[in-house]
Amino acid sequence: MLLGYALRRFGVAAVTLFVAVTLMFVMIRLVPGDPVQILLGPRATPELQARLTAELALDQPLLRQLLIFYGNLLQGNLGVDVFSGRPVTLIVLEQLPHTLRLIFASVLWSVPIGILLGAYAAARPNTLFDRVSAVISVGVVAAPAFVVALLSLLLFSVHLRWFPAIGAGEGFWDQLRHLVLPAFAIGLSWIGYIARIMRASMLEVMGADHIRTLRALGVAERPIVLIYALRVAVLPVVTIIGVGVGFLLSSAVFAEIVFARPGIGKLVIDAITTRNYPIVMGAVLMSTALFVTATTVADLINAMLDPRARAGK
Amino acid sequence: MKLHWSRTAVGRRGFLKGATALGAAASLPGGMATRAAAADDSTLRVRAYGDMQSMDPAYSVGVTDEEIHASVYNKLVQYKPGREWDWQLDAASMVEQVDPTHIKFALRDDIGFTNGFGAMTAEDVKFSFERIVADATESPNKPDMGPLRHVEVTGEREGTIVLNEPFAPLWSIALPYIAGNIVSRAAWSANDGKVTTTPPAESGPYLRASWSPKEKTVLKRNPDWRGEAPAWDNIEILPIDDENTAEIAFEAGELDFTRVSLGSVARYRDGVPNGGALLEYPSLYYAWLGMNLDHPKLQNPKLRAAIQHAIDVPTVLEAAYFGAVEPSTGIIAPGLVGNRAASKIPPEADFTKAAQLLAESGETNVTLKLDTLNKTTFTTAAQVIQATLATIGITVEVNVLESGAFWASAENEDLQLVLNRFSMTPDPYYATAWFTTEQVGHWNWERFSNPEFDQIHQSAFKESDLDKRAALYQRAQDLMEDSGAYRFLTHEATPVVHSSRVMPALRPDGLALLRYFEKG
Repeated sequence: MLLGYALRRFGVAAVTLFVAVTLMFVMIRLVPGDPVQILLGPRATPELQARLTAELALDQPLLRQLLIFYGNLLQGNLGVDVFSGRPVTLIVLEQLPHTLRLIFASVLWSVPIGILLGAYAAARPNTLFDRVSAVISVGVVAAPAFVVALLSLLLFSVHLRWFPAIGAGEGFWDQLRHLVLPAFAIGLSWIGYIARIMRASMLEVMGADHIRTLRALGVAERPIVLIYALRVAVLPVVTIIGVGVGFLLSSAVFAEIVFARPGIGKLVIDAITTRNYPIVMGAVLMSTALFVTATTVADLINAMLDPRARAGK
Repeated sequence: MKLHWSRTAVGRRGFLKGATALGAAASLPGGMATRAAAADDSTLRVRAYGDMQSMDPAYSVGVTDEEIHASVYNKLVQYKPGREWDWQLDAASMVEQVDPTHIKFALRDDIGFTNGFGAMTAEDVKFSFERIVADATESPNKPDMGPLRHVEVTGEREGTIVLNEPFAPLWSIALPYIAGNIVSRAAWSANDGKVTTTPPAESGPYLRASWSPKEKTVLKRNPDWRGEAPAWDNIEILPIDDENTAEIAFEAGELDFTRVSLGSVARYRDGVPNGGALLEYPSLYYAWLGMNLDHPKLQNPKLRAAIQHAIDVPTVLEAAYFGAVEPSTGIIAPGLVGNRAASKIPPEADFTKAAQLLAESGETNVTLKLDTLNKTTFTTAAQVIQATLATIGITVEVNVLESGAFWASAENEDLQLVLNRFSMTPDPYYATAWFTTEQVGHWNWERFSNPEFDQIHQSAFKESDLDKRAALYQRAQDLMEDSGAYRFLTHEATPVVHSSRVMPALRPDGLALLRYFEKG
């Protein structure tokens, strides 16, 4: 049954990927501005412009351009960067690990804190801790990530000089130090989201029949919370993490700019500005695949933890 | 090898002592007891506004590439650091203009290429220059080499540059800038002429040690360089788009040199962190308000003149550039041949005259669209222009565009007013090139077409008499202003900050000449 669910889910993921990439392919071509002129600059010869137009198949109808793109994609060919002549696949794969590290680091620190905060607040509803945690959760959700980024830069980089302000670092420990502030900036609001979802879910589970039965049987409160309630209550959080990868990808764009880090987000922004279609499509394909994979994995984990999910209930 | 270690017993008291010491260290200024930057004394860290794109001078398209090329390649001459435009010998031991179309040169005998590609010869100069103008190369830098016919090799290290006609920008653009970089003929040939991001052979005081895309380019001292030794062992060039980020990185001690935003100039005038200094240089950029002469709404010359007189340039500059820049008199910046001492229309608005011109034009209920880039500077300037034109009864709708769409404005037949900004190299020839009749529909968005202007553009670059050349370019700018299609705003400025560790070497427009940077 799980296999059937997984196959269905993979099918949905493939369709989602196809629709998203096709939409992006069409949209970037609808944006005003001659890509060849923007790419090559004011001094390119007409011959060079004509050659690039043909190379990018921009002289072809849109549908044919799309077919060429998917034809090349099926052969594993995303084209070459117009400026450097380097393969797009290589360029995207160079940048991807930086973005993945940032997203992973953000999730790694924020989600456990959010879960603990939410679960603890739910276990002690209407206490001072619950109220304070509610204020903190709403506060961090409301704080714009770019403000957190700038303030943390000014405090921890400029004033205290604890952490580096820019770049991605070299070597494990240096890279880790370079991750601290950007991961803090984009992960902070997640604590609030996760804590609120976790609290609501936990309260619902704590009032469920099976928990009441466990209490009636004399099971201690701690195992009830940690073993029986938490496992069920955490399901919405798993789903949210999957969807949240998309949110984190978009947050990574600003983090990569503010912290001058390499990454997919910065690559896409630069490529869209210069109408560098091969890079745009390569990066969009990769980030869409990342998002679709994350949501699919989240759904599969959900299905494993909760049989009702794979039954579509 | 087997490592031995012994376990040290740490008691409660010992642990507390250690923890207290760590906590104290963390709370000290310079936290964690070390600077985040931890830049060593021999590494210079500078900001570039973009990433490197090509290591082939034929395809280099900008300042970032050239900052690297100028450090790892040599030219016959390089720009001389300072406040006035000048050049100095580099790979050449002698350069001499023997007549308007012949320039003799002799190379130093101590410059060689890396990777076993031998000494630099006149054949390398010939190869480097001629491939820029060859049609097959399709180099965007071809116009910089102007009317180059060929390079005549007269000896192993001697040769003559032969031009089809006199070309004054040879000394200001061709030789000391991108197109003037000398590459190894043998190395390029070994790569079938295809060089992208990895240089097959270098010859300058630095070598490109590594390139991490979107992260940094590292230059290291060339051990085989026989010229004057550069001051720094390593240079790290970090691509940082955002000026605010660069300023924070500078203040955190992670950058030694960066351009800063005009909005931060007042703050840095009061003091630069880390014992650094602010240097304010003029810029070669030129910003202006253009009017599309082909648009039906802008056919009336008196309406255009009214717009020119109603724009108060000092107010625009105060609001958009924080008062850190001066009004311009045209497209040619101060310090360059052809700069005008004053524009025909004063920078200050004359609302009475503007209103009178508008009344004489007979135009009523004038509503115009002003296109501009989505950068704060330009949107602010556009809003000020909108407000000032409103005082004489002209309604302006500001149309903010993303850069790709904005730079495609040549295709926009409905373009009316446009707030524009071009960059240029240090020769007026480069500036006038974009306003000729030939450029209508390409980069001449005002669709300004004047036979006298075209003729000046075609002839002034041949003029070797500086005074005559200056007069020609001044006349060209008069013609632009007389057309009513232009209201010149500013050449902007290049404010930079540097740490106390470094003494920057800059061109007169504030751009970095990294190979000449000294230690502070």
